[in-house]
Amino acid sequence: MVFTSLALFVRNRGPDEFWRKRKILKLSAHFYGRRRNCYSIAIRAVHRALVSATKGRKLKKEDMVALWETRITAGCEEHNMTYPLFREGLVRCNILLNRKTLADLAVWEPRTFKSLVKVAHARVSQDGLAGVTELGDPPSGIITRGMLK
Amino acid sequence: MTAYKRVQQWNTFARVWHLYDATWQNPFESAQRIMKYLKGLHKPIYHPLNDCGDHVVVINSGEIALLGDEWRKRVYFHHTGYPGGATWTLAWELHDKDPTMIMKKAVYNVMDGNLQRRYTMQRLHIYPDDDVPEKIKQNITNQIRQLRPVPKRLDRYAPEEVQRFPKVMDWPKNYILR
Amino acid sequence: MCKVCVVCIETMAARQTILNIQNLVNPSLLTVKRNYKRWLAPTLKELKRRKMKMGPEPPTRRSAFLEWNYHAELFAFGKRLGEEFRKDLLQRAFTHRSYIVQEEMRQKEVGIEDPKLSLEDNQEFIRRGETLMSEYLKCHLRVALPRFPEEGICAVHGYLMTDKTLAHVSRHLGTKDIILSSDFPVEEVTLATTLKALVGALAESSGAVRAREFVRDFILTQLAGRDINEFWEIKDPMRTLADILKRDGRGEPEPRLINESGRNTILATYQVAVYSDKQFIGLGYGESISIAVEMAAHDALKRLFHTTENMKPIPFTVDVRSMSYDESKWNTSVNDWSSAKVENVDC
Repeated sequence: MVFTSLALFVRNRGPDEFWRKRKILKLSAHFYGRRRNCYSIAIRAVHRALVSATKGRKLKKEDMVALWETRITAGCEEHNMTYPLFREGLVRCNILLNRKTLADLAVWEPRTFKSLVKVAHARVSQDGLAGVTELGDPPSGIITRGMLK
Repeated sequence: MTAYKRVQQWNTFARVWHLYDATWQNPFESAQRIMKYLKGLHKPIYHPLNDCGDHVVVINSGEIALLGDEWRKRVYFHHTGYPGGATWTLAWELHDKDPTMIMKKAVYNVMDGNLQRRYTMQRLHIYPDDDVPEKIKQNITNQIRQLRPVPKRLDRYAPEEVQRFPKVMDWPKNYILR
Repeated sequence: MCKVCVVCIETMAARQTILNIQNLVNPSLLTVKRNYKRWLAPTLKELKRRKMKMGPEPPTRRSAFLEWNYHAELFAFGKRLGEEFRKDLLQRAFTHRSYIVQEEMRQKEVGIEDPKLSLEDNQEFIRRGETLMSEYLKCHLRVALPRFPEEGICAVHGYLMTDKTLAHVSRHLGTKDIILSSDFPVEEVTLATTLKALVGALAESSGAVRAREFVRDFILTQLAGRDINEFWEIKDPMRTLADILKRDGRGEPEPRLINESGRNTILATYQVAVYSDKQFIGLGYGESISIAVEMAAHDALKRLFHTTENMKPIPFTVDVRSMSYDESKWNTSVNDWSSAKVENVDC
């Protein structure tokens, strides 16, 4: 006997869930307890983790900038200068180094940083900005060749 | 790690002992300065996880100067936790009881309120006068500049210097000062 | 159950992807199969379970796998280095004595009475390569660091010629799979000797100049970014410094404490400077005064030998032909070193 309608009862159960769930469980491999092994709990934890990661990318940049500013301020204070005046002096001299480079220079190239501070000081004294008098005398050894205009 | 790199790291992260003379200084302004040194914010290698803070030894904390009416009006509140355990102590009373407390509280309150605070406060050493233990005196190698210049008192000048100084006017010889 | 190799597990997943690709390319089929089959995951799990049960697989040579064409690999190796090797010399450079012995034993076991292998071992190349390497490295270092004492040059040369360094270079050049030797996995000694043999073979094929350039480009460059003072340990730097200053006719070295911090704490730091005739010659720091004095003496010696941190880096683009390979021209020994002897040198 041939049961022709048997073939009609075969239903496609859909793709294997294993591969879909594996994508999530791979991301939750380092979580605590059932959050790393059980899919329904892991999916929630992974979603929150991904959202934190997205928010954190922006925060990380903000944190790094704040750290660089602290380091540059510390470097400036070593040479009797303030950070806002330093920044203003460099910008006016068209030395457009970013905070990351300035912080690295302050840590690894202290003499270069000192020369930058001196240049900024000379420029700020020349332009007569507020707060210059508290810094003391402008440095003498700056060779400008007319470029500090 | 070569010996050269090892000593270079040791030198970079060495803890420096600073001295601060609090005679006639405003403790709250000084606390801002001191906090900076305690946390390590004066170093270009600063990082909150770096443990790069230095030690600060404050002397003459018994001679601090508060602004205006502060001695009479500033109140320090303390509660023991038990019922009826609230105390309100005026600044001059606290200073009489313990001359280092005002400085200590000033630094404590100017720091961030995180778990590092108590740990960093251990590196602050306050003494009410010049008398610092010998071992700590030997550690100190730097002095932090005072915020306000300390004028010299008239009675500290030698009498010849006072007499030599040019006078604009002087009382008559038989004038009696009240 | 046959020994499962990595290839079988991958073909299953590959078969799925091939099916997918076929269906994408041929849209006339009504059934669009985009997913892995339901039987794939459980099969892979079972295979993994059985593989774990069988224990870790012993490492096998690359030549045991499919698609191994030894001659093609040799040719590619030669071309990859950008050198012209003679085919037979290159093959000889990779054949070790142990391999030939092993092959002869195998043939004897099979029954062949008189094993005649057409392979030659690389011992001659190793010797030649070693002498060439050694000679060139010393010459180059002497040219690059004219003020550095001979003991230092020998120490740096010794470091570059260690098995560890040469094996590191050799492994990253890709000799590991091509080497014919009895030991597997290939040992450091074998890798190092293979590199020496390569240099020897290169000298034979393309000439000494090309071989020296090879040594310069691959072995000398291991010094890039490294402090050359770390290879040479000076036992008593203060005494050495005192001797040198005496020979120069300058005053005795005087260490003075410049800076210190936290004397009574565990983290005590001391900064000491060494003076000669009240002139500053070196600075050092350390955990204790004696360490700081020693480092100050080291620093003074570095300043004399021009090997401080901000020294001119060792040049790696020196023209090999312009260097003179005079074995007798050594640098001054540290026991005779004085500033007068290195006066006419520009470095």
